[in-house]
Amino acid sequence: MVRLLITAIILVSFSKGGDIYHQNCVNCHKIYGPSLKKLFFDYLLVYSSERRVKKALFEYMKNPDPKKSLMPKEYIRQNGVKKPSKLSDEALKKAIDSYWNRYKVIGKIK
Amino acid sequence: MPSERKSLLYFLSMYIFLVIIILLLVSALYYNFRKDLMFTQIRPKLAENAKDVIYRIKEMHQSLGADLHYPRFSGFKSAIYDADRVKIFSLLEEEDIRFDKVIYKTGDKIRFIKEPDAYYLGTKYLIIEVLDDERWLRETVRDILTFGGLFLIFTAFLGFFLAKLFIKPMRESFLLLDNFIKDTTHELNTPISAILANIETIDKNEINEKLAKKIHRIEIAARTISNIYQDMSYLLLNKKTVSNIERFDLKELLLQRISYFKILAQSKRVDFVLNIYEEVYIKADRKKMAKLIDNLISNAIKYNKIGGKIYITLKPRLMIIKDTGIGIPKDKINEIFKRYKRFNESEGGFGLGLNIVYMIAKEFGITIEIDSKPDKGTEVRLKW
Repeated sequence: MVRLLITAIILVSFSKGGDIYHQNCVNCHKIYGPSLKKLFFDYLLVYSSERRVKKALFEYMKNPDPKKSLMPKEYIRQNGVKKPSKLSDEALKKAIDSYWNRYKVIGKIK
Repeated sequence: MPSERKSLLYFLSMYIFLVIIILLLVSALYYNFRKDLMFTQIRPKLAENAKDVIYRIKEMHQSLGADLHYPRFSGFKSAIYDADRVKIFSLLEEEDIRFDKVIYKTGDKIRFIKEPDAYYLGTKYLIIEVLDDERWLRETVRDILTFGGLFLIFTAFLGFFLAKLFIKPMRESFLLLDNFIKDTTHELNTPISAILANIETIDKNEINEKLAKKIHRIEIAARTISNIYQDMSYLLLNKKTVSNIERFDLKELLLQRISYFKILAQSKRVDFVLNIYEEVYIKADRKKMAKLIDNLISNAIKYNKIGGKIYITLKPRLMIIKDTGIGIPKDKINEIFKRYKRFNESEGGFGLGLNIVYMIAKEFGITIEIDSKPDKGTEVRLKW
């Protein structure tokens, strides 16, 4: 009963996309991963539109494929790829949405 | 010659139609050619502009969002769109981009679409827009008007000569036919008059009955030909005869014409039933009225049954000639006054009769009403 309650509380607190993104992406990338900002612009350069960038990110998180990674081959050889995300599809999508909103250029160009 | 005019009209309308089609087609081709030429000439400049913009957005991309000042140039406007054709940033006033084109014209603006080698800031399509001074368009219109005008003048001359050439054989055949009919008609008159005059001089008491019968038949035949002759000469010389309008008693004329047709009527055992008032006057040409009556009576006999009757009524301002004949089908009543129209191929004639009746009635302001029931008979009412 207590366990269930704790799970529920965790789920509720996680339901805010920003938190999922911060806890699951930013925290780790800050220490180990390549810069999220740099990665965002790399994705933009290759996938162009919001829909395509989000789709590519989602697929990569679910199934990190070294062939699909945008990082240099040398980096992959030394560090390998990340582990598949354990987040639910919904949570992952929310995290990606936060990521997009954090770095998107549409609406910011002057 | 209405049919000649009709053919000429057909020819001319077809000719004008073709000339216009050719003119439009050539103009459209020339316009497109000039437009493509203009695009080819302006394209390198636009490509240069695109290069400048791409250079700048590449810089913006590499700054990773730190520097997001979009480049603005004085000579042109630009916009960037992503792979899903969603606007990233635009300086254009109108944003209906035709992404399937490389270069195109919209309103008075020319748009050029360039795809950068990589999607800097997500840009798949870069649109460069410049104002078209439309000098090429003015030149094109001027050329089309000048050369189109010259072409029209040329084709007008050509059409004029072609029409003449086209009409010539037709006019010749018309003249031939016209003259042939005139000559024939003329040549018919003398022998028919001779036959009729000679028959009249024969003393019927001096010859035997059998011969008298034969002579009687010859007279009927000669009178039939005489009627046809009169119809034809009336139509051919119609325009040349001046009406001699007088006020006269129609009763006298009517009785005279009925007696003229008695012999013909007897040959079909058709009887006249008369109801004629005294002193019915009309203002018209006596000869033409005689022709009108002749034609109506002759039809009433021709299309009557053997042993039928013809009812003739004459009242002030009204004449009715009614037969007990084959009648006219309802759907054809409207056509009966047309020349050469005949309803019964078994009877002889040229279909001129009712056309003449119509022409004479029109001249003297007489209205014609026709009631007809198939197999019952036809009633013709004249009112004036």
